[in-house]
Amino acid sequence: MNIIFTAVFIASMIALLICAPQDLLPALMNGTENSVKMAVTLFTVYAVWMGLSKLCERSGISKGVAKALSPIARKLFKTDNYIATENLAMNLSCNLLGLGGAATPFAVKAIGELEKEKNSYAQKLLFVINATSIQILPTTVIALRAGAGSAAAADIFLPSLICTAVSTLVAVFLFIAGNKLWH
Amino acid sequence: MALIIPVIFIFVFVFSAIKRVNIYDSFTEGIKEAFNFTVSLLPCLAAIFMMCELFELSHLSDLLVKAFSPVCSFLGIPEELTKLVLIKPFSGSASLAYLNEIISTYGADSYIARCACVCFGSSETVFYISAVYFAGLKVKKLACPIICVLIATLISTIVACLVCRVM
Repeated sequence: MNIIFTAVFIASMIALLICAPQDLLPALMNGTENSVKMAVTLFTVYAVWMGLSKLCERSGISKGVAKALSPIARKLFKTDNYIATENLAMNLSCNLLGLGGAATPFAVKAIGELEKEKNSYAQKLLFVINATSIQILPTTVIALRAGAGSAAAADIFLPSLICTAVSTLVAVFLFIAGNKLWH
Repeated sequence: MALIIPVIFIFVFVFSAIKRVNIYDSFTEGIKEAFNFTVSLLPCLAAIFMMCELFELSHLSDLLVKAFSPVCSFLGIPEELTKLVLIKPFSGSASLAYLNEIISTYGADSYIARCACVCFGSSETVFYISAVYFAGLKVKKLACPIICVLIATLISTIVACLVCRVM
């Protein structure tokens, strides 16, 4: 991230110096403003889902889900960490439901938990799964198309399902294969 | 499908009430965690959004799109989607804006727009996710998983363009 950030920043600033030097400062502040707007949007999503997840935690629902999923977690993520499994389960369920934003806090919690046992394999695998998007129903896109007057807004459902499955499977396969070759 | 979310909410609330959990306190506590989490994300978000803004304004993105268009059309990805495919790994909101533009320019039911929707729906903001997930951790060597994800995303984009032709 550091390399990309530095490279893009320097290259863009040099380009701006030549074509529009007065735009640099407004652009930076505009970016910050957008990030705050984004943070507000994210908070609205997180508040709802993390509130609900706290309820799941207290009432023992997440414990049950984690217990059901723990054999898979042990096999795939090579972890016995109980809290990590719970968060992994919540993260994957949110993703499947198409609540990508709500999935993020659980992933961050799980990654923090996995850090304690220095399980960087599981951390990276979780990242790979999340970064290839595993949602079943692309809600945002369907809403957008319906808004634009599409005759059959949901007809992209099947193609999307195929593509999201392809990308996740390919990425997980590459990652596990690469990991095996490395060692 | 629309019923799933209300059902989940009702189930969790009723179940918690039966288990005699203090629902108000727990819910508030969860929101407090959400607040702290959002605040901890903000520095990361601000830096990335500044980068995206500069990238767009300096016309570097246009240059990149021009450079990559031939590669994309060689792989069977329509030229009109080059920008979307390139921007998506960096910024969700920028690519969403661009997706909107594609839909209104070509019409929601056109081949280009359907392709764009499938690509958008089946990919994620890779660099943004890597920044958020691993902020403040000491995990090194992220290049390998990021490359795996980018290759997989490219393959699924190619598949998307093929599938949209037949479906």
